[in-house]
Amino acid sequence: MSATYKRSFRMYSAWNYMQEVEDLNKMSDEGWQLVRGGCFHSKFVKNPDIRYRYQLDYQKIDDMARYIEIFREQGWEYVNSTFNGWHYLKKLYDPALPDEAYEIFTDRESLREMTGRWTRFATILGVLFGIMAIIEAFRVITAPNLPRIIQLFTLIIESGLLLRGAFIMRRTEPGQKLRHDSLILGIFFACIFIGAASNIILDDMRPNLNTQQQADEVFEPIVENRWVDFDVKYPDNYYLDLMIKADEPLTFEIVNEADEVVYTETGTDVDKKDIRIKLPRGSYGFRMSVNSGFELACSID
Amino acid sequence: MKKSEPMSESYYYILLCLAKGANHGYGIMQMTEKLSRGDVTIGSGTMYGATSNMMKKGWIKEIMSTEGAERRRLYQLTDTGREALRAEISRLRRMLENAEEV
Repeated sequence: MSATYKRSFRMYSAWNYMQEVEDLNKMSDEGWQLVRGGCFHSKFVKNPDIRYRYQLDYQKIDDMARYIEIFREQGWEYVNSTFNGWHYLKKLYDPALPDEAYEIFTDRESLREMTGRWTRFATILGVLFGIMAIIEAFRVITAPNLPRIIQLFTLIIESGLLLRGAFIMRRTEPGQKLRHDSLILGIFFACIFIGAASNIILDDMRPNLNTQQQADEVFEPIVENRWVDFDVKYPDNYYLDLMIKADEPLTFEIVNEADEVVYTETGTDVDKKDIRIKLPRGSYGFRMSVNSGFELACSID
Repeated sequence: MKKSEPMSESYYYILLCLAKGANHGYGIMQMTEKLSRGDVTIGSGTMYGATSNMMKKGWIKEIMSTEGAERRRLYQLTDTGREALRAEISRLRRMLENAEEV
């Protein structure tokens, strides 16, 4: 007879691990026994003849053999560990035993030690995200553009949710049941996803153009139209770095599809950085007119 | 002398259970329940954490039992551990005495 398996893709936040324990117990009562627990998905096997009670532990185990032995002595069976340090444990359910027989942390100090480890981890991560948010905030203040604003918002939310989680986890009491908040976890992962997508897609869609031109001597005036073309795929602030060195004034322009000038600069000695130009979607080009020896470097992103 | 920190109930009972000789985790758990008349239980998570921490502090050490066919881990009190237990007992005694004075 082949075994019947079932997978669950339900995720739980660390500070809500008691909810996961409760759900595993319920699954066991319904005949689904945990085979492998995981952060992102868990596997169950059908066996209606037994009932288990589960517990979760979070730590880096120094001596696995000793850990398993200590748990086995009190009827606990080690199921598996996740990559990030959570351990699944199960014990056969005996209705005659009191609820305390299914607790693994029996004093406040040891429970606090366990929750404290995650609290520390989440606090460090939350503060790190917070620092990144502050750095991003400075970039948004000095040179705002869409990817930076998105990055800033996602970092603020991620940092806030981690610190909130750390705060909730720190206040866990023995035997406490927590309200379910998978929505919070959904928001957190959505932010991670949006942040990464904005980094990859929106950044990649920017012109990121770098170009130079130079001539030692010019015998008749040069007007170079659209010597470089670039596309703006979404309306945003774009930033131009411009360096001009010329004997006679040189005119540099950015023109749009209709040959309308959207930016112009004339001079013999220009060195400007992060010139903010608001550009709608469209295709653009650089135009230059000069009648002397010159050197020009510009980049736009 | 450095003032010793109050011990958690679990630490205290584990050390107490080892005072008369080495014991394994389950033995400590049973003896604790008997001593405290069921008031104190030591769950597996608490037991692993407490024994790990006390081994790091050097209060107890792990030895392998040679009796019988099955090799089992036994925990044994060290001199430092005995000293820590003694300090805790006198701290508790002082506290009791203070209560009686009031």
